[in-house]
Amino acid sequence: MNDFEPKLVCFSCKFGWGYLGDESSLSSQIKSWIPIICSGKVDTNHIIAAFKRGADGVLILGCPEGDCHYQDGNFEARKRVHLLQKVLNVYGIEPERVRLELSIDPEGKRIPEMVRKMSETVKKLGPVKGAGEIQNPKS
Amino acid sequence: MAAKPKIAICWLGGCGGCDEAVVDINEVILRFVDDAELVLWPIALDYKYHHVAAMGNGEISLAIVNGNIRNSENEEIARLLRAKSQLVLAFGACACLGGTPGLANLGTKEEIFNWVYRDAPTVVNRKGNVPQPKSHVSGKELTLPELYQQVYPLDQVIDVDYYLPGCPPPPDLVVNALTAVLEQKLPSKGSRLAPHKSLCDTCKRNQTKPVHIIMNDIKRVHEVEASPDTCFLAQEILCLGIATRGGCGEACININLPCRGCFGPVEGVEDAGAKFISAIATMLNAESDADVQRLVNKIVDPVGYFYRFSLPASSLRRRRPE
Amino acid sequence: MTKSITINPITRLEGHGKIEIFLDGKGNVEDAYWQVVELRGFEKFCVGRPVEEMPRIASNVCGVCPTPHNMAATRAVDDIFSVEPTPTAKLIRQLQYNAFVVEDHYIHFFFMSAPDFIVGTSAKPAERNILGLINKVGLDTGGKVIEIRKKCRDIIRLISSKPPHPEGGLPGGVSRGITENERVWIKKTADDTVKFAQSTLKLFKDTVLANKKYLELVLSEAYKLDTYYMAMVDDNNKLNFYEGKLRVIDPQGKQYALFEPREYVDHVGEWVEPWTYIRLTHLRKIGWNGLSDGKGTSLYRVGPLARLNVAEGMATPLAQKEYQEMFNTLGGKPSSHTLAYHWARLIEALQAAEDMQRIANDPLLTGKDIRNMNLKLKKVGIGCVEAARGTLIHHYETDDNGIVTRVNLIVATQHNAAPICLSVKKAAMEFVKGAEVKEELLDMVEMAFRAYDPCLACATHSLNGKMPLVVNIRDLERNIIRTISRS
Ligand code: SF4
Ligand code: SF4
Ligand code: SF4
Ligand code: FES
Repeated sequence: MNDFEPKLVCFSCKFGWGYLGDESSLSSQIKSWIPIICSGKVDTNHIIAAFKRGADGVLILGCPEGDCHYQDGNFEARKRVHLLQKVLNVYGIEPERVRLELSIDPEGKRIPEMVRKMSETVKKLGPVKGAGEIQNPKS
Repeated sequence: MAAKPKIAICWLGGCGGCDEAVVDINEVILRFVDDAELVLWPIALDYKYHHVAAMGNGEISLAIVNGNIRNSENEEIARLLRAKSQLVLAFGACACLGGTPGLANLGTKEEIFNWVYRDAPTVVNRKGNVPQPKSHVSGKELTLPELYQQVYPLDQVIDVDYYLPGCPPPPDLVVNALTAVLEQKLPSKGSRLAPHKSLCDTCKRNQTKPVHIIMNDIKRVHEVEASPDTCFLAQEILCLGIATRGGCGEACININLPCRGCFGPVEGVEDAGAKFISAIATMLNAESDADVQRLVNKIVDPVGYFYRFSLPASSLRRRRPE
Repeated sequence: MTKSITINPITRLEGHGKIEIFLDGKGNVEDAYWQVVELRGFEKFCVGRPVEEMPRIASNVCGVCPTPHNMAATRAVDDIFSVEPTPTAKLIRQLQYNAFVVEDHYIHFFFMSAPDFIVGTSAKPAERNILGLINKVGLDTGGKVIEIRKKCRDIIRLISSKPPHPEGGLPGGVSRGITENERVWIKKTADDTVKFAQSTLKLFKDTVLANKKYLELVLSEAYKLDTYYMAMVDDNNKLNFYEGKLRVIDPQGKQYALFEPREYVDHVGEWVEPWTYIRLTHLRKIGWNGLSDGKGTSLYRVGPLARLNVAEGMATPLAQKEYQEMFNTLGGKPSSHTLAYHWARLIEALQAAEDMQRIANDPLLTGKDIRNMNLKLKKVGIGCVEAARGTLIHHYETDDNGIVTRVNLIVATQHNAAPICLSVKKAAMEFVKGAEVKEELLDMVEMAFRAYDPCLACATHSLNGKMPLVVNIRDLERNIIRTISRS
């Protein structure tokens, strides 16, 4: 299992994360990095779809409490993530595979670092294989 | 006179309630028996699978199939009917979405076997017997269909033309669907033969539903005496009406119980549960992690509420194998 | 040379079932197996669900007898919350229950069984169906059957939403009360139903009992089985569908056991065989003695005939009179004649109809007090009812939060599974002799298990009054050498 390299999808809010950084250098460091406007825009379906497409973990970076440009997008994201974690857990996808961080980092330097740290956590959990795939009945 | 269209009715992994639902159109059924030729209805008629197998491909106009795919026999029959029929109608929640028995996708076949044949308190099984696809009793061979690891809605195994939702579909929609077939007034392939809007749209309690629902608590049905007139969500009771297709006549709401979603998602939505998660999350009145967690904990069985009838058709389909 | 006969598919099971008959070198029956070929695993996937949701989930076990599952679950949930329903709630539940017993017993009788013995087994298959039956008994009776079924199902719909999937029932009560307006039409339905129940019994006696050939068949050795019987009775040992103690009598009619449903695990054992998905229920204290009746058997039967055998009488006056007449005709109690299940069924429908009448006349029915909110979770709950086809037990356990951790279900057809195997074997032995396998065999074997109305979830509706049967005769290599089917 040691050579398992977890695939992480990282959604980050442009208002709080990396807006002063060099986007192209950041995206070369972070695979599957999806800058968005407001963490509140990350829908349950996006997270579920990420796992279906082979992600082993999803990291969402939003603005600090009280600082969301859309008033409460980050609070919405928090509620959604908590509820979804509980649902995913029943599907066998551990809560640690979805993480929401509400903070600020204009340079975006912490993003690769956070991705790396989460990868370590996810690495211990192993890969999410074939989520949502239709198995051959006979197998 | 043109030949009558041939119709086959068959149930696979279901409870039989969908067959009862066909009988529940009462006298009207006699009209259909006149207008169409029933070529298979195992519970009612003398035709067998080998009769169907002997028919030409596409000879049957419509196959009405209820129940999900649970074992090898279900699959064989589904494939046979597909080959012989011009149209296949997935009838009822089990066929469309997997149905309640689809909750079995949260576990494995081994877990089921271990409980049913080993651990249940009434089991006396000194020999450690377990049902086998093939077994021998004093030299004689007996066979059983093989139980699959998971439950499949019909369209994960065969091509489906139309869907009639509900657990089971209500009589008026059954009549409409049959009429549409006989009069050849069917909508485009893949349609659900039911209203497009949500249950809330026709629910009498909708007027009492606030524009922004705020939940400070989540109540289970036994914990409160629910008002018979007020929207359940406004009473902090989970009701799936907002994400569920209408058409059942508010069957559960009428007996003062919240909707559990047997009609599946509204038009254009694949995963009713996911939609419901987003909607409910918004309603929770909490900001801090601790407060959110407290409220989420009160939703004691989110998958059992949000995916009660639709787990095998949900985006993730089943519990991830270990 | 050993041959085997496969009858597949047979239906009216929890889905699907089949019969295998093995012949010895002379072509006589050596063994017969009735196999249940399906398993859905409800007991496992109910784990994790909030227990108060069980009445809504359990009714999906079977769409043919959904109300009994709904009610057994509701009563188990009462038990787990240590609560009794309010008097009004209890009446409402019993009303739903009786309406179910009536409509279910009649659909079985008229659509499935009656074509055999009212139209007659010698009639052509094309006539031997509900339509042929209507010809014989007249359109009035035929239309009345559909009407009574519809009206009874309207009562179920009113109280518990969809008749094939009732969702009502809460710990300590019901979710919805009955208004005075509703009571008026319920009462009318109840009155109609009692009249109909009486006329059906008259029809049965006039056409069936008057038919010597059929009566001989009822009393014949082929359809006789000596087993124990189990059923629920009230404090006076009268038949009760909704609550009471479980009573077991031995093949001679002596009381063998009387216990609270809560103690069922001490009395009920379930054997597992590799050739069927159903667990074979037997009396645990005697121990599994295989598929055998008579001396040393540990098998018991449930369902209409078992209930009448076990009870010392019916709970309502009209039904009581019929009960006495039945046992007089059959030559005493208990009756071991499998085909008498049909007669017993009609007498039960009369009791249920009379009970509907009692409830409809009770002013408490429209009471407003429909919930007892004094709930105390005790984490183990057992609910038992007499389903149309026999004793039904739901056993739930939960954690501190009322989330289900264990579920055990014993359904009527489980109790009857081993006796059904035996009945099938007996009938096969009687009717399959020598190398010649006649088509009538199918009817006769079929009648043996149809009497039990083995509900493994399927509609009991039968337009042709026949089950799809195919008999394959195979040689040793299992090549089909001949196929008999009816078309
Ligand atoms: S959809 Fe409901 S009524 Fe139909 S077979 Fe499935 S569980 Fe039974
Ligand atoms: S949420 Fe439920 S109770 Fe409220 S309006 Fe919608 S269906 Fe009716
Ligand atoms: S209210 Fe919901 S669960 Fe009940 S019948 Fe209608 S769609 Fe199904
Ligand atoms: S704008 Fe950054 S989280 Fe809403």
